[in-house]
Amino acid sequence: MPPSTLLSPSELSYLHSSLSLDLPIRPDARSPTTFRPLVAETDLLPTTNGSARLCFADGSEAIVGVKAEVERTIGASSTSSDVFARGEDGDGDTKMQSAEEEMNEERRRLARGKGQDSWIEVTIDMPGFARDDDGVVVFLAQMLQEGLVADEGLRDRLWIGWGWHWRIYVDILLLTTPNSYPLPLLSLTTHLALLATRLPAPISRIDEDPLFNDDWDAAEPLYPPSGSAHASKPPFTLLVISVEDNIFFDPSREELAVADAVCAVTVGTIDAPVSSGKRREGTPKLRLLSLRIIDPPARLAAATSGTEAEDDQGAWRPARGGMKRAVVGKMVKVVLEVGGVGEEVMTGLEGFHDG
Amino acid sequence: MTFSIQALAAPSRTNEPRSTGSDISVDSDEELQAVSSVKRKKHAAVITPGELVTDDPQWMRGHGTAATPGSTAILATVAGTLLRTNKLLSIQPLRARYTPEIGDLVVGRIVSVETKRWKVDVSAPLLAHLPLSAINLPGGILRKRTSTDELAIRTFFSEGDLLVAEVQSVYQDGAASLHTRSLRYGKLRNGVFIRVSGTGGGGSVVRARRQVWTINTANGGGDVDVVLGVNGYIWICKHSRGELVASSEEAKKMNEITRMEEAVSESMYSNRNDEIPPQTRREIARLTGCVKALVENGIRVDEEMVMAAYHASLEPDGDDVPMTMDYDEGHETHEYLGGSRGSRVVAAAVEATKG
Repeated sequence: MPPSTLLSPSELSYLHSSLSLDLPIRPDARSPTTFRPLVAETDLLPTTNGSARLCFADGSEAIVGVKAEVERTIGASSTSSDVFARGEDGDGDTKMQSAEEEMNEERRRLARGKGQDSWIEVTIDMPGFARDDDGVVVFLAQMLQEGLVADEGLRDRLWIGWGWHWRIYVDILLLTTPNSYPLPLLSLTTHLALLATRLPAPISRIDEDPLFNDDWDAAEPLYPPSGSAHASKPPFTLLVISVEDNIFFDPSREELAVADAVCAVTVGTIDAPVSSGKRREGTPKLRLLSLRIIDPPARLAAATSGTEAEDDQGAWRPARGGMKRAVVGKMVKVVLEVGGVGEEVMTGLEGFHDG
Repeated sequence: MTFSIQALAAPSRTNEPRSTGSDISVDSDEELQAVSSVKRKKHAAVITPGELVTDDPQWMRGHGTAATPGSTAILATVAGTLLRTNKLLSIQPLRARYTPEIGDLVVGRIVSVETKRWKVDVSAPLLAHLPLSAINLPGGILRKRTSTDELAIRTFFSEGDLLVAEVQSVYQDGAASLHTRSLRYGKLRNGVFIRVSGTGGGGSVVRARRQVWTINTANGGGDVDVVLGVNGYIWICKHSRGELVASSEEAKKMNEITRMEEAVSESMYSNRNDEIPPQTRREIARLTGCVKALVENGIRVDEEMVMAAYHASLEPDGDDVPMTMDYDEGHETHEYLGGSRGSRVVAAAVEATKG
């Protein structure tokens, strides 16, 4: 997918040998887990429920807008559960807390397990891919959607009442031509946009037609902020490469060119029930949603160059074969461990959203 | 912090009118100077292509501007800042492609191989030519090229190879013809390639007295060569004795034709890198970071600035506490010259060159 980076054999060999040292030296002297600085802004599109713009250090840039729409749930059977709901209502009026609080709590409880995958829709627009049914675009959109729906909490939060739900449209626009794998950029921008997304607060009861508070300040965040009882975070995808036994985050173009293996690691939060009070404040526990191995560009180039260049006096040749188990294990560990890269990225993104 | 994300710097918009035609059509010269310099300081006004610069007949049009037939108006043809030299108005482009001039030292990458010449990417609007007759052929500089050489053209340079060359002539259409008929020119090995914008614009390579020099690096890195191509392509590599980028005295010694014959051997076109110790690689990475930081901060790239930035980057930085990662113990991350650390290094370098 990315345009092949034209590098001379001596450059490739220099890069590969630098990256495979015991203490690897990246071409820009970063440590293996350091990310290049990002620039971002949120809430820039006035007509969306949440939006974000993110610029990567390599100059690529993306905008994501999240739009929510109320929709009638097709085939929702309200008869049997209605009775159940009414019964609950009868119990509720003895303990008079804030009525709204109670309604929200009840909605949350009733919504559990009722969310549907199809309520979240992701579309991607990339320059150079004019058709929106292009394989690349569909595949990327699917990968992002898959991460979002893996979080049952999100789906359930879209449930408004019997017969009504929110439908979320995540529209991703890549502004620059993709000069390397665009997935991390798109995913991090989506993450920021979803963090900034708010839905109008419902004031109707769950068995009524939906009615919302028209005060935007009262709108509820789609992802409850950390610290609240139901804290969860949108997932994100990171690109990790391996060279020999070393792994590197946020690879630059040159580093991708010599990667032995390229992985897209998707990380989400565990939707822990309210009861578990053991979590540390502000840090929802992470879980691995998916780990995909992408064909490294080096191997693609090697495949096309064919039998030629057999001579190559000591020049670097792309490695054959798959990824070592130990390397995969290391990747997962570095991403998921407490204080690891995943947590760092999560807090970094959230810190940006709050600040 | 391994993951940092910054808010988008809000553009300093002012509601005042730009310093366009109306501002500089003041009669008195002194007043004009005062007005335009004040205006320019306040907001370095960027003029866009097609914008009216002035319609006062007293001004002459310079680079980056065009006169409209039948009127005295001067319009901008490039995006950039206005530069006034007495009565001459020109626009300094923010970004410009390299325009080849005879005698320029350039770094280029081979993009295609033809029967008797190579096409070289030198970041100019048109690809440059490198005729087979303009390189040092193995077995003596004065040898006539033969059909055998034509058949073996890929053994000298093939697609992707980097070379340092001089512009021999410029064709009518602006395409350059290169030559490598000197021991200082030829194929590049043992290092890394950086691409910045060429002459013109803010952070870019400027024509200087010396485009190639050797640095005795700190931390046991040994000698490192820096080749600043006028076209904005930069090569930083380990210094190797008597090779392509020979120091001046060695070049003098080599002046005898007989010696040259010995020097120009098959090894000149080899792709194999020398043994490069990690210390050297680390210093090369540091130099790369310096160049990138200079460009990011809009400072010119020449010998003086690169050296100043390099020395500044060796100073420990107060704000940066060297962090140790759990997974590669003891490796400092403060070598990475990105983001705020890069700006501080550049600021220190600028300070050092002023004094």
